[in-house]
Amino acid sequence: MGLTADERWDLVDAIAQRTVAFGISRQTTGDVLGELTVKPLTGIPTALAVLYAFWSIFGSFAGALVTDGFMIKLFDGYWLPWMQAAWPDPGSVHYFLFVGDPAAETCFEAFGMLTSGLFVSFGVVLPAIFVFYLMMTLLEDSGYLPRLAVLMDTLLHKIGLHGYAIVPAILGLGCNVPAVTATRTLETKKQRFIMMTLLALFIPCGAQLGIMLQVVPDTVGWVLLYLLIGFVVFGYVLSRVIPGSNPEILIDVPPYRWPQRANVAKKLWNKTRGFLTNAVPFVMLGILIVNILYLTGFIGWLADLAAPLFVTWFGVPKETVGPLLAAFLRKDLAVAQLATIPMTSYQMITAVVLISIYFPCVATFAMMVREGPRQLLAAIGVLAAVVLIYGGLIHAVGILLGVA
Amino acid sequence: MHDHHDRLTILMMGNPNVGKSALFNRLTGANAVVSNYPGTTVDVTKGSLRKDRHSYEIIDVPGAYSLEARDAAEEVAVRILDTHPDAVVMIILDATRVERGLYLALEVIERGAPCIVALNMMDVAQDKQIAVDTAEMQRVLGIPVVATTAISAEGVKHLADMIRKAQVADLSAIRSRLNGQEPDQGAVARCAGCGGGGCR
Amino acid sequence: MEAPCRGAELVTAAVGLAAVACGAANILVWAGPYDGIEIGIMAIGGPDFFRWVWGSLVVVFGGVMMLAGARQMHAVPGYGKVLLGVAMIGIIGGTDIFALICENIPAGEGAQFFNSATGFIGAFAPPYPPAVVLLPFALVIGCALYAGRADDGC
Repeated sequence: MGLTADERWDLVDAIAQRTVAFGISRQTTGDVLGELTVKPLTGIPTALAVLYAFWSIFGSFAGALVTDGFMIKLFDGYWLPWMQAAWPDPGSVHYFLFVGDPAAETCFEAFGMLTSGLFVSFGVVLPAIFVFYLMMTLLEDSGYLPRLAVLMDTLLHKIGLHGYAIVPAILGLGCNVPAVTATRTLETKKQRFIMMTLLALFIPCGAQLGIMLQVVPDTVGWVLLYLLIGFVVFGYVLSRVIPGSNPEILIDVPPYRWPQRANVAKKLWNKTRGFLTNAVPFVMLGILIVNILYLTGFIGWLADLAAPLFVTWFGVPKETVGPLLAAFLRKDLAVAQLATIPMTSYQMITAVVLISIYFPCVATFAMMVREGPRQLLAAIGVLAAVVLIYGGLIHAVGILLGVA
Repeated sequence: MHDHHDRLTILMMGNPNVGKSALFNRLTGANAVVSNYPGTTVDVTKGSLRKDRHSYEIIDVPGAYSLEARDAAEEVAVRILDTHPDAVVMIILDATRVERGLYLALEVIERGAPCIVALNMMDVAQDKQIAVDTAEMQRVLGIPVVATTAISAEGVKHLADMIRKAQVADLSAIRSRLNGQEPDQGAVARCAGCGGGGCR
Repeated sequence: MEAPCRGAELVTAAVGLAAVACGAANILVWAGPYDGIEIGIMAIGGPDFFRWVWGSLVVVFGGVMMLAGARQMHAVPGYGKVLLGVAMIGIIGGTDIFALICENIPAGEGAQFFNSATGFIGAFAPPYPPAVVLLPFALVIGCALYAGRADDGC
């Protein structure tokens, strides 16, 4: 015999009445702060502070301390020269595949599986992932994350997502690889698809942002503005076009608690291990495959094929085609290559925006493959369409303004 | 996934944010495996517990408010319940919000699975001046009720001991106990019968 | 009992006001033609958008929050606001110091991996950004408030 919901609630009330006694309690510090951090007036400044801390700590630890401070020196100063010297036969195919460019001075440029692949996986992404997950876990366990989700919910619903989409969006600004994994917290296929597409398209990763700031500091503001507009507009369009539901979910807001060290350590270990076993092989394999495509002339052929399109439709010089295609491997590197090509600043903005939106890097691509081939094909379709439309639009705006 | 006949499966169920995962970590130690539940995007964690020569497989079922499968997590919760008909269900209640959790607990009890209740977050309840009478709850429900604080591991060992005493509760018995005892409300004092009701 | 309470409120308001002033100055200097100004041990304004504008905005908000809560800081709503304001200033100051530590453990350009001890300590010489200067004051207020509430003092 099944009970109806009402009968069940009556029973619950009867049991609770019998067993639970409420004393007089005053608001605890956690309660007071809990309330202040979800109210928009005080909550939004708090969110700004928390995000600042997130980014600052991320940049200081992963960027300044581990990668710039130690890993670059280690890989460029010792590992790369050693590999270049020790691997036999600089002209051979296997040298190209595994070590890459024999004249390269940094692991960014070498492009071999055992040089760039290892450097990117362990020197750049691993420390980033580690500190990222540490902070995400702290935010999660302390109970702040659900509050941030509540704050963002109204806004994100307009583009077909719910509050929890803020998590992959933040993660994506660091690296799209964990961000793609984080789209799992979203409820429906539609939402995951929208988020994954928007991530790949409009959220530049930390490495890209860093290189942009170094190479094209004057145009970064414009690039980010274009990306933000794109994020909102295409999110809105996608949420209308793609079938499926966008359910309202109830976000449960727990009271604030101090995160427990053992719990945090365990979560952190699980997630980092997940990265090591899942993503690292994909990054290495991806570089190998792209190298093979280069060797077989496929990429060169593609560049020739695509050149007229880039020149007439996007209005960028022919030389940019190479870097744009290389963006598949490392977007940040592509931005660096672009900087050496002479062009007008508007063309530069167009090219940098294109690189950002146009295709996920090889690691993100690998993560998307893992989420399912059908999703991926659809995402590629949308990507291609959006790149064509958006690139053309930017070009058109430039023509109208008389600057392109 | 496959039930070994010598190995009892325990499903940990409860509302989201009741400290279920923390309790899971306390029970299972460091050997948990997180996996994607087939066909969904909900993560399910499995671990094992060894206690007095008994070995248990513990599954941390995604947090749910009911078994009406209103979202992906609840759907997975129902499916896990369906695929483990012989499992013991450990229901985790938040001592500060007992009602919400009891609703789910009753739904599980109705399915006829052997159950045990962990009344978690007792420390927070104490801070908020909420007193929950575990003995009385145990007597009314007819299944073991153990007070725990996952954060400080209080009561966790007792909880592990009580797993073997999980009982199938009977709704009509719960009803009659609620009605039959209606006249004398002095429930709080009745601690002598602690072990009574459920764990024969 | 009365006097120290009033004093605490004044101190809180003063630190809040200082935070608003410094934060606003930071943003104005960043937006203006100057690259940065040094006042005593404090450096106002710098080239980095992230650090000087976003961070300063948070300091301003923190200061406003402290000001808003200062008048009734011994009651629940004011207490929460002051504590949150203190936390916001603490976050900016704390992460700025953390950044300084991280940037100075490795040696700069060159063959060595680790910075020398004197080089490391030398990096902590003034001037400091306003949030770091405000940090000790904010922390004292925060701790006093938290402890005071715990034993129900004033």
